[in-house]
Amino acid sequence: MLKYVAKRLIQGLLLLMLFLALLYILLDAQPGDISLQLSANPRLPPEAQEIVRERLGLDQPLLGRTVTYVLNFFQGDLGLSFTQYPRTVGSVILEKLPRTILLFLSATILAYYMGFALGKVMAWRRGKTVETGLTLGGVAAYTVFYPWFAILMLWFWGFQFGLFPLGKFIDVDEWTGAPMAANRVFMRMLISLGILGLVLGAVSLLAHRLPPERGEQVARYGPPLVLVAFLAFWWLSPLRSYVADIAHHTLLPVLTLASVQFAGVMLLTRASMLETLKEDYILTARAKGLPQRDIRNRHAARNALLPVVTSLVLALSFVIGGGILTEGIFSWPGIGGQLLDATLTEDIPLATGTLGVIGIIALVGHLISDVLYMYLDPRIRTS
Amino acid sequence: MATPNGRKLLEVDHLVMHYKTKKGDVSAIEDVSFSLAQGESLGLVGESGCGKTSVAMSLMRLAADNARYLNGEIRLDGEDLLALSEEAMRKRRWKSIAMVFQGAMNSWNPVYTVGDQIEEAIDLHIEPRPTEKQIRERMSRLFEMVGLNPAMLDRYPHEFSGGMRQRAVIAMALSCDPRLIIADEPTTALDVIVQDQILKELKKIQEKLGMTLIYISHDIAVIAEVTDTIGVMYAGKLVEYGSTLEVFHRPKHPYSYLLLSSTPSITGPRRKLAPLEGEPANLLDPPSGCRFHPRCPFATEICVTDEPPLEDKVPGHKAACWHSDRVPVTIGVAV
Amino acid sequence: MTDTLTAPPEVPEQEPLGSIEEPLWRVRLRLTKRSLVQNWKLFVANRIGLVGLVMIVIFALMAIAHPILMATVWPSQIYHPINGYDAPVSEKLVVEEVTDPVTEVDLTTARIQYGPFTEIGETVSISQQPAPPSFGGPNPHYLGTDPLGRDVLSQLLYSTRSAFFLGLIAAMVTVVFATVVGSVAAFFGGWVDSVLMRLADLILLVPLLPVLIVVSALFRISLPLLGLLIGILSGFGGTAIILKSQALQVTVKPFLDAARIAGGGNGHLILRHVIPNVLPLSFLYMMFTVTDAIALEATLSFLGLLSIPMSWGIMISIARTQGYLLGSLEYWWLLVPAGLAVSLLAAAFFLVGRAMDEVVNPRLRQR
Repeated sequence: MLKYVAKRLIQGLLLLMLFLALLYILLDAQPGDISLQLSANPRLPPEAQEIVRERLGLDQPLLGRTVTYVLNFFQGDLGLSFTQYPRTVGSVILEKLPRTILLFLSATILAYYMGFALGKVMAWRRGKTVETGLTLGGVAAYTVFYPWFAILMLWFWGFQFGLFPLGKFIDVDEWTGAPMAANRVFMRMLISLGILGLVLGAVSLLAHRLPPERGEQVARYGPPLVLVAFLAFWWLSPLRSYVADIAHHTLLPVLTLASVQFAGVMLLTRASMLETLKEDYILTARAKGLPQRDIRNRHAARNALLPVVTSLVLALSFVIGGGILTEGIFSWPGIGGQLLDATLTEDIPLATGTLGVIGIIALVGHLISDVLYMYLDPRIRTS
Repeated sequence: MATPNGRKLLEVDHLVMHYKTKKGDVSAIEDVSFSLAQGESLGLVGESGCGKTSVAMSLMRLAADNARYLNGEIRLDGEDLLALSEEAMRKRRWKSIAMVFQGAMNSWNPVYTVGDQIEEAIDLHIEPRPTEKQIRERMSRLFEMVGLNPAMLDRYPHEFSGGMRQRAVIAMALSCDPRLIIADEPTTALDVIVQDQILKELKKIQEKLGMTLIYISHDIAVIAEVTDTIGVMYAGKLVEYGSTLEVFHRPKHPYSYLLLSSTPSITGPRRKLAPLEGEPANLLDPPSGCRFHPRCPFATEICVTDEPPLEDKVPGHKAACWHSDRVPVTIGVAV
Repeated sequence: MTDTLTAPPEVPEQEPLGSIEEPLWRVRLRLTKRSLVQNWKLFVANRIGLVGLVMIVIFALMAIAHPILMATVWPSQIYHPINGYDAPVSEKLVVEEVTDPVTEVDLTTARIQYGPFTEIGETVSISQQPAPPSFGGPNPHYLGTDPLGRDVLSQLLYSTRSAFFLGLIAAMVTVVFATVVGSVAAFFGGWVDSVLMRLADLILLVPLLPVLIVVSALFRISLPLLGLLIGILSGFGGTAIILKSQALQVTVKPFLDAARIAGGGNGHLILRHVIPNVLPLSFLYMMFTVTDAIALEATLSFLGLLSIPMSWGIMISIARTQGYLLGSLEYWWLLVPAGLAVSLLAAAFFLVGRAMDEVVNPRLRQR
């Protein structure tokens, strides 16, 4: 099992290097001489031009330059930003990365959780009105032109009902006299969310290990209790209003992104459940006299989960694309919005650096879904 | 077959079941009656699509959603299963009637250990709930009984061979001490040697526990190895019913005769195989009169117009045929 | 599929049995026709797929309608989707000079926008652009005009054609790439397979939209180039992997061995036996590529990254960059028709793809 993970890790690393190399070659192949374009860029002060020239190693052949670029990337050296000189690309990305991770992660978790739960019910009620309605809604959400959908969401919830702010990360007026910078508050939130996730995971593991009756109790009352404790912690914290402000700004983008992703997961779960329900072991479960709920959840859904997890890989590209657009439309200061800005202002190092980091995110997501699959499928786990 | 004292364990009484489809009604079970006393074993035989699996599924009340019961009763210990609520029936599954399935290879859920899946049934049906240790002991005993190492309980299905999986299925079927076990082609997907081992095992357990068994197969030779009584089904109807020896040596229905003579025998003397010609009857629009008449070598006018009743030809040996006396005695089929 | 399964590979074309039997091509044609009819019946049985098909036909009619309308009823200088101009003019009398009571800013400077020399008592004409839908007058604009005074309906119809054009290129490139890569990888195996599949892994892994965003910053991307890029990326990625596993199922079938023994070369085997068996699945994924291509083009146009004169994405992009979409939906005609068109056409291809999936994958069929 460890061997499997290690193998995947090495494969992933190789893929990443290949990706970065291709990225550099692409950069190198753009029309006009890249050296000229970079070193003679009027927006760059002379000393920066010197650094650029040196870093690009313009006297080296393409292969050498590519290797240098990849090695530099692995050392966290992504070059200097044209538009935000003298900041390095690395520092710009590092500042914005946590916000993007929060957006992607929470939207993905929400989408998969809801999509799986609803897809399961859809397959179970095949042919009923609920199913037809959800399928149509799912297809609509899956194929809707995303920027358009996001604008409509913003208009509907933000403008029409005034429930949510119209984009951005914080309300600046609220933060005058704040005891710490928004980013630090945000980091604390992120850490607390991570802890929340771990605790919830531990609770569900505990519920699995305990004997059935006790386990069921833990599974039913544990998560709500943990959630209440989590909310109480921030409610009592002196940073309450600031945290609330960030959360308020986060909610609509997360919901928008999740509702599109969710549709894909739901449709896939439905298809996968329908396949599973034809399996012989479902008939066995029925013959064993299991209640419908157990057949659906313990037997059918558990197996239907496997293709859904695999699809996480295929959906990654979709998720990331959606995330970038979300950040652009909601003016969410993450790396997706950064990529758009950098592209529009032709800040090439920042754009390529960001793309590289996005590639890493995709890779990590791939790895996570691989490991998750292995954990869920004993046929791989035990071989 | 009449037994002197009182009620039988299972009584199927004039059961009629049709599948509703877009093209019309499929008459899957047509007026089938039989009964089974505690400790008896019955074999149901016929070509695929003759309704034997539909009978098994009806006993479990697991037939497809479009199944309609138009007439008849299925009584287990005098209680009509068809009249029970779904919830009441659910509680009786596995506890009263357990089943070993046709696709036993895939009867196991790949993501749970075999032990967990057996435990699931025990948890559900045995009152009061035994302790973890008692369950473990019980499962170990079952595994030993079917010839498996109890350590295999913690393994996943994919780590079992086909024969082992089938043995484990039998262990699971026995786990709640059911009154009746239905085995639906349990050995079909296995190779011949494993098939034979499992049959012997099943026979041994049946005798040891005095288990009541319904064994379903298209292979009449296999059935003969395990059962006392045979019911032959054709096109949704029970066409012959009698003790295994009787049916085997003196079949009273041409279909049984042809089934027997189309089965090669390994142990008996060499003989000519008579092929069973023609297609199985179309159940959407079954033939008039005797449903077997289009394929029957002895068919006459009356077979086309009138349906033969299932009646005693010899005491205790029933058949539904107008020309029972013309069916030859089979020779050289070893039992 | 029936074609290769039933036509025995031992019967080579160079020695036709012509006069004795029916010519081979006619047998093939008949079999193809029969399987087409069967598949069509299966496809039609799925209502949702039919809805998708009808939607595609409607969009196709819209695309055809545009040049006809331009040639007949729509004068070019008004209705041209890119160069046309028309703004309803309303005459207004300048009544007084106003001073804002709070800020005391002289609002007469606002007259500038009506023309530099307006005085009190003069009439000024205000041209309205964007204008809301109008149905009367000599030049009705059923969907209003855009911020540059161009007819929205004309733009919408014109863009339909480019959406189809893009979808067609992307789809064809995908089919060619995915089929060839998948078949070759499955047929040869070994290092060829490894190299191709690792590459496919990489392409699958890398998110499409950010790559296209960065590429569009580095290069000028036109519509055909975009179609080519999307086609290659989606054809060489996930689709190639799926088709390879399908092709693998063919390469282990006995008829391929039979054909090999009969002296078929690699090229012949791939072309006549592997590819025809992979093609149905390939066409299925083509549908999903079209969905992706339409959405991606609209997205990139929306972000202002493509050098394309007009498309649905650009229509929304113009409205957005000119500030007509901030908050309210007052200028709905700038947002709703184009957004709906993108969503509906993408959905139509997706639905057809889903329905085809049930034809190609018999496991999914509902009984």
